[in-house]
Amino acid sequence: MRVDRIRLFVQALCFVFLIYGGLTIFSIGTAIPTMACIYAENRGGSCFLYPFQRFLSMPWAMLFGSAATAFLIYLGTFFLWALVFGKTFCGWICPLGFLQDLITKIREWVGIDGSRFAWKTRDRFQWVKYALLALLILLPMGIGNSLLGLPRFTPDLAVPFCQICPGKPLIPLFEGDLSHLIIDFSSTTKLVLSSLSMLIAGLFLVGGFVKRRYICAFCPMAALLSLFDRIGFVGLKKKGEACTCCGNCFRACPMEIREIAELRDKKHMVTQDCMLCMRCIEVCPENKALTATIIGLPVFSASAEGFLKRQNKTASAGGPFHGETPALQDTATDPESASK
Amino acid sequence: MKSAIIKKLSAISGKKSPEAAGSPEGSSKGSPEDRVARRLSLHMAMAVREIYDAIAMEKNRPVSMTPFDTLFKNFADAPEKILPTGPRKKIGIYCMAVPEELIYAAGALPVRLCAGSGDAAEAGEALFPDVSCPMVKAATGFTRTGVLPMYRECDLIIIPTTCDWKVKLGELISRHVPVMMLSVPKFKAAESSRRFWYAEIRRLMHALEKVTGKRITRKKLRAAMDMMHKAQQEFRRLQTLRMDDLSLIRGRDAAAVANAWFYMDGADWTLAARNLNEELLERKEKGIGTAPRTAPRILLTGSPVIFPNWKIPDLIENAGGTLTCDELCSSGRLLWDMACIDEPLFDDMLDALADRCLLPCTCPVFTDREDRKTRLFRMIKDYRVEGVVHHVLKGCHPYDMELRPLEAELAAAGVSQLKIETDYSPEDTEPLRTRVEAFVETLKGRRLRMGKSA
Ligand code: SF4
Ligand code: SF4
Ligand code: SF4
Ligand code: SF4
Repeated sequence: MRVDRIRLFVQALCFVFLIYGGLTIFSIGTAIPTMACIYAENRGGSCFLYPFQRFLSMPWAMLFGSAATAFLIYLGTFFLWALVFGKTFCGWICPLGFLQDLITKIREWVGIDGSRFAWKTRDRFQWVKYALLALLILLPMGIGNSLLGLPRFTPDLAVPFCQICPGKPLIPLFEGDLSHLIIDFSSTTKLVLSSLSMLIAGLFLVGGFVKRRYICAFCPMAALLSLFDRIGFVGLKKKGEACTCCGNCFRACPMEIREIAELRDKKHMVTQDCMLCMRCIEVCPENKALTATIIGLPVFSASAEGFLKRQNKTASAGGPFHGETPALQDTATDPESASK
Repeated sequence: MKSAIIKKLSAISGKKSPEAAGSPEGSSKGSPEDRVARRLSLHMAMAVREIYDAIAMEKNRPVSMTPFDTLFKNFADAPEKILPTGPRKKIGIYCMAVPEELIYAAGALPVRLCAGSGDAAEAGEALFPDVSCPMVKAATGFTRTGVLPMYRECDLIIIPTTCDWKVKLGELISRHVPVMMLSVPKFKAAESSRRFWYAEIRRLMHALEKVTGKRITRKKLRAAMDMMHKAQQEFRRLQTLRMDDLSLIRGRDAAAVANAWFYMDGADWTLAARNLNEELLERKEKGIGTAPRTAPRILLTGSPVIFPNWKIPDLIENAGGTLTCDELCSSGRLLWDMACIDEPLFDDMLDALADRCLLPCTCPVFTDREDRKTRLFRMIKDYRVEGVVHHVLKGCHPYDMELRPLEAELAAAGVSQLKIETDYSPEDTEPLRTRVEAFVETLKGRRLRMGKSA
């Protein structure tokens, strides 16, 4: 079975749980490093960013005083989630990620060609997610406190990122809640933010239709999670000597990460945009060139045999050329077992 | 400029240019052209028979080589039987850079025309400068004389602009056959190169559709790619079997198997290769090898080695070495790199094909040798190679250019190497034999010393 099919299935399960899980008694807390939007009434767990921004907008005295313990516990929980799962949140769990993948699947099903970022464009906009991250930290701080002697910002700026995040208007839709699809004229700040929100939601849908994982390229959560790329439990390793630079992984990568194919001397391949979807491993035809690891132990490795098997299933329409190939023993194209 | 356009158009419509020369039968019996043709056909037949006479004396040869032998014997006995018969259009290709899957998907048969006959090189010589690649000379020789009909009967010949010789080959042979040039970008790492190449592959697709009159659909391409994967699976299996401590097949025979892909139908080849692999697997279990375990393991890299030019492989193996693997576009690399079938859309599949032909290719015509170096080191490790033989055809500038830095890198890693500069003619065989024997002896000595110190 193709990894991205399994992934879509897991994503769907997570989506249902995260959006409707609250209808049962379960909830996995509010420090989840993924866009499980807090504006969804029946959520089964919710996005880290909303409370994070709330905490940060407290006056210093409070944040480091009465709320300090709560804040620390909160950060600690986030830290644990991020350490254990890291970017798998993006590839396998995030509702916004899932929606984008779903849109892509629809596009492919209809048969419309997608498009890719020009290399330059992708490289040029990589700072955006860090800028958004910085803003979503600084702006709330400026509400509760005066930063560098500036006057305090208007409370209309509260949870600034949520106000433009595509999660807010889109995710509640799945519970029939249309209330966030509005442009708010009550103040200039709100007017600007809510217009931006609508614009970005539109971009999410249109951009997502044109290009795989369009919004993820700008997501501050990814920036936050990428702090854990090196230390996280889940890893993606490359064995440069086995890589032929065939480019299969780069072409298949939904995040269009060029480094995955082109860097031979780098071992840790969880790059800033990587979402650990494992698609690159699946399409790599060289033995052990790419390997997914959990706490350093290999769990899924690229291999010629596995590649051919999976590809053969995809092509199982058979075609006019051939009957079935007898299954080979796993060692058939693996140098290490061949020499034994 | 104008004539270039005409040629291109005629290429796409599958017609020859108006000045096309007549077939060899057409010219009068005594013309010089005709004499050249007769000479070539005679000499090549002799060379082929000589090869097979020598092979007949060998012991322990896998019997599953038979279908491949039959094919190659046809070069001498029945040139018209080399290609499978049938109504399929035939598309000649000159390099690994052409995605054969596309040709199969268009319902045609790809025929790789890269030639290895010294006699044909002689027949083509007149049109080339003194020091020039014997491969293009031989191809021109065959095309000019029409001694091997397949050089004349292709409905379209696709020449990728890899080395300078191939760049000019198109013009030379377009007198006789319809040619289409495929422009290969030389700097693989740039985005513009990739986009350009994607466009070239699409141009090729349209040309193929025009020539065959058939549309290439997603389904057909999928089937063709699947067929290719089956072949690649057997190919990789063969190469992996050769990693065994025991030499299961002679390097020359392994090269012949790969060479046979040039002319056979893909599915037939896969079947024959599968039988061979089964036999080799059995031999592995029984411990039957083609060389004693003491034979030093040698890797051959460099310019292509194409039937009937078995000079170098034979020299190595007759000197007591075993040719465990090669990094040649005519054999060891031929079917290694695999494209993804599971790309979601037709467009993506074309990109996948394009990538397969360009990105992993270790041909020295590209700007840097990093990929080739990595592949060589990996092969040295996987096959436990003891010595590397560099094969440079006189006039093959790209391989020649890469040789020195590559030699230095391998030497720094402690790899023993031998450089052989030669062409297709058998003239220098004796001096080369002495050098190869000395090299093999050194490797043997090294192994003894290492064995003692270990
Ligand atoms: S609006 Fe976005 S950032 Fe805010 S809680 Fe919802 S998903 Fe998270
Ligand atoms: S990068 Fe994409 S998948 Fe990851 S949290 Fe952001 S929206 Fe979700
Ligand atoms: S690099 Fe691999 S795991 Fe990371 S996003 Fe790309 S395909 Fe997925
Ligand atoms: S798919 Fe594998 S071999 Fe190809 S470039 Fe990626 S890592 Fe290298």
